Amino acid sequence: MHVPDGFLSPQITIPAYAVAAPLWAWAARRHFGAHAADALPTMGTLTALAFVVQLIRVPVPGGTSTHLVGATLLALVFHPLAAFACEALVLAIQALFFGAGGVTTLAVNALAMGLLGPGAGWLAFRAARGLRLGDRPAAFAAAWIGTQVSSLAIALVLGLQHALSSRYFPVPLAAVLVATMVPSLLLTGVVEGAYTLAALALLRRAKVHAAP
Amino acid sequence: MPRRDPRRARALVAAWLAASFALSAVTDWRVLAAAGALALALFARGAGAHLRRVARVVLPLSLGASLVALGLDRLAGRSGPGWDALAALNLRAALLAFLALAVLARADVLAAAERWPWATRVLVVVLAQIHALRLLATDSLLGLRSRLPRRPRAREVVRSAGPITGTLLVLSGRNARDVADALKARGF
Repeated sequence: MHVPDGFLSPQITIPAYAVAAPLWAWAARRHFGAHAADALPTMGTLTALAFVVQLIRVPVPGGTSTHLVGATLLALVFHPLAAFACEALVLAIQALFFGAGGVTTLAVNALAMGLLGPGAGWLAFRAARGLRLGDRPAAFAAAWIGTQVSSLAIALVLGLQHALSSRYFPVPLAAVLVATMVPSLLLTGVVEGAYTLAALALLRRAKVHAAP
Repeated sequence: MPRRDPRRARALVAAWLAASFALSAVTDWRVLAAAGALALALFARGAGAHLRRVARVVLPLSLGASLVALGLDRLAGRSGPGWDALAALNLRAALLAFLALAVLARADVLAAAERWPWATRVLVVVLAQIHALRLLATDSLLGLRSRLPRRPRAREVVRSAGPITGTLLVLSGRNARDVADALKARGF
């Protein structure tokens, strides 16, 4: 899902940074202050796990890839804003040290994979709990929905870039949608759901305070 | 070992982040190649080791993904990003990683971030976990191999992936708590 540097023009990357920067500041103040000291170890562990699972990428046509994200788990255990900040940290390390994703596209990637997807997953989890669906199906559905929303957001951004200027991104929206959403709907979302369920079960067994 | 001078470290880290951002916006592989030559000249000390690490860790991942993406585009009969775009992408990834390694060998990032204790705590815990996960995964694989008289097959690795992942998560959580406690005890 990572959009690499050079695929998006400043018309998209600058507004994305303008949206993401205040949200990062808010998330840092809210979730990483002195009061969050007890939650930090679990947050660090899940962030590191997200980093590891995101390194296993399957390239798809059109210059992007599909992979697990692990951020919906962070959103379910803590909050979507915490997931957003942690995902940004993961993406920054990946961009600076491993050439995965990019620095100019960091805000776009973080908004798609760290905020929109996990946020949608978190909302779905709350809605499913409200419908008395049970924690396990709710968590699975949340992770699946989170993956689809992240993939869709990335595909739409690339499609928008093609519409704005095909010099940056030559593949049209229809082709990107197919290439991104088919593996996401059929495989990545299901594996992400299983990963989230397994991790939540382990966290509960380890009696982690924040686990839902 | 980098010198512990917070002002120098902050300046170097800020320059590194600014340079990374600027280089990320460059799409011409020739400009990136020139920037790479300049970076090699500026950070000549230890450049060989950093380049070897980049060639071992970054380039296989980046080149592999680019070639697979290119192959898929060709198979689908689509005109995806061209060779020059992929060359720029890989050159940029290698250059950014080289700069990161060169700067981290010269600047104490913890000293640079000491004004922001929350940033230090998050950075230390996450980096420590990534390192711990790598070590634990290596240990788990060694454990699996030691229980078998031969090299484990793909099916055996997949079958034991669940318990290994669970163990990794639990051990990583314990390790993270230790690191966080140590940071708290040191006033972060």
